[in-house]
Amino acid sequence: MADPAVGTNSEIFDPSKEKKKKKKKVLDLDSVLLGSSSAAVDEEVVAEPVGVIPDTVEFGDGEPGAHDDILESLETFGSKKKKKKVKKIVLDEDVAAVIEEEIGVGGEEALDFDFTKKKKKKGAKGIDDLVAGEELEDETGEVQFNEGESPEKENAEVVNIPAPKTWLTSDRDYTYDELLTRVFEIMHAKNPEMASGTKQKFVMRPPQVVRIGTKKTSFVNFMEICKMLHRHQKHLLDFLLSELGTSGSIDGNNQLIIKGRFQQKQIENVLRRYIKEYVTCHTCRSPNTLLQKDFRLFFLQCEACGSRCSVASIKHGFQAVTGKRAAMRAKAN
Amino acid sequence: MSNIENLKTFDPFADAIKGSEEGVQDGFVHIRIQQRNGRKTLTTVQGLSSEYDLKKIVRACKKEFACNGTVVEHPEYGEVLQLQGDQRENICQWLTKTGLAKPAQLKVHGF
Repeated sequence: MADPAVGTNSEIFDPSKEKKKKKKKVLDLDSVLLGSSSAAVDEEVVAEPVGVIPDTVEFGDGEPGAHDDILESLETFGSKKKKKKVKKIVLDEDVAAVIEEEIGVGGEEALDFDFTKKKKKKGAKGIDDLVAGEELEDETGEVQFNEGESPEKENAEVVNIPAPKTWLTSDRDYTYDELLTRVFEIMHAKNPEMASGTKQKFVMRPPQVVRIGTKKTSFVNFMEICKMLHRHQKHLLDFLLSELGTSGSIDGNNQLIIKGRFQQKQIENVLRRYIKEYVTCHTCRSPNTLLQKDFRLFFLQCEACGSRCSVASIKHGFQAVTGKRAAMRAKAN
Repeated sequence: MSNIENLKTFDPFADAIKGSEEGVQDGFVHIRIQQRNGRKTLTTVQGLSSEYDLKKIVRACKKEFACNGTVVEHPEYGEVLQLQGDQRENICQWLTKTGLAKPAQLKVHGF
């Protein structure tokens, strides 16, 4: 029984070996996560393997399994052990999947800015900002900027250390990485304030939003914010109304009355988008810009870097019928 | 005659026509939200390519998001999807998942 059985077993379990390898990785993570506690569990298992909770047994068994990998490669273990391991794999994978998910989520938070996530983050940060410093800043811009910067910086360091300006001595062409690092070096040398944090705070007063009755919302300091952004109130008004998909007007006290219920956070989000598109320079992100209208097109002229680029015109787009159709028909006739 | 490859009719402008049809304007898919009375909202999806059968899309969406919806014909914007409730995140994810639109094409409006 012994010889052929072992032979077939090893063949059968070939795919599971791959799994084991995967599992090994995960187990490493486990051990990292659990740290010394798993080791402690190990000892317990050795001491009294009967009265331990199955989960802990899993971990305990998994640990020596990982250590035995060398042995596995030599294929010198009995079939019993193998069977045990199969069980482990199934159970451990569940645990592993959970852990991987957790890690995956964590990693995504750091690296991947999915649209929905970004929005959530934005909202949360918005609250934080307001609570902390009573200021409104272009979070998305900053975040993106940092993201764009950091990997390149790392690159720069990596590339830079082995070969600092080697192209000066040789005849070969420059590589892209070298030129990139050179540009960043020069940029950081000339603008130390940018190099330090790559953060340009754009401080703004939060919009004061008050509900009027049940159906209308008032944006009290609308004029003030227009002045702060150096934009025509009509332009901002157009943008706000088209984004929110409602109607509204400016009343005698220079406040904006919007139809519909809106919270301050929501208005903030829209304002943030407006600032990103129509206020901050698309090249250098400086808020010191002018909006000019040439040949029916809006151009954003930056005062800081002198760049000039066209910005999207405000379109209202499709508006669904939300009111009473009978009333609309009566109005039309 | 017809079995000679070179003599088959070939429309050099096929791609151009296809390109212009993609979305009504610059290929963006605009996802908007509108408030109705009370807490109720309406999500509109404008600019999906007319190659797709919007009725089938809306049928799938209704099932997926458990909401009602319809296709509205608009003289300027073409066929527009309407879904009940705030389905902006749902529709974004669904459109990218099914490959009907790339994430870069999606433009979400509203608060």
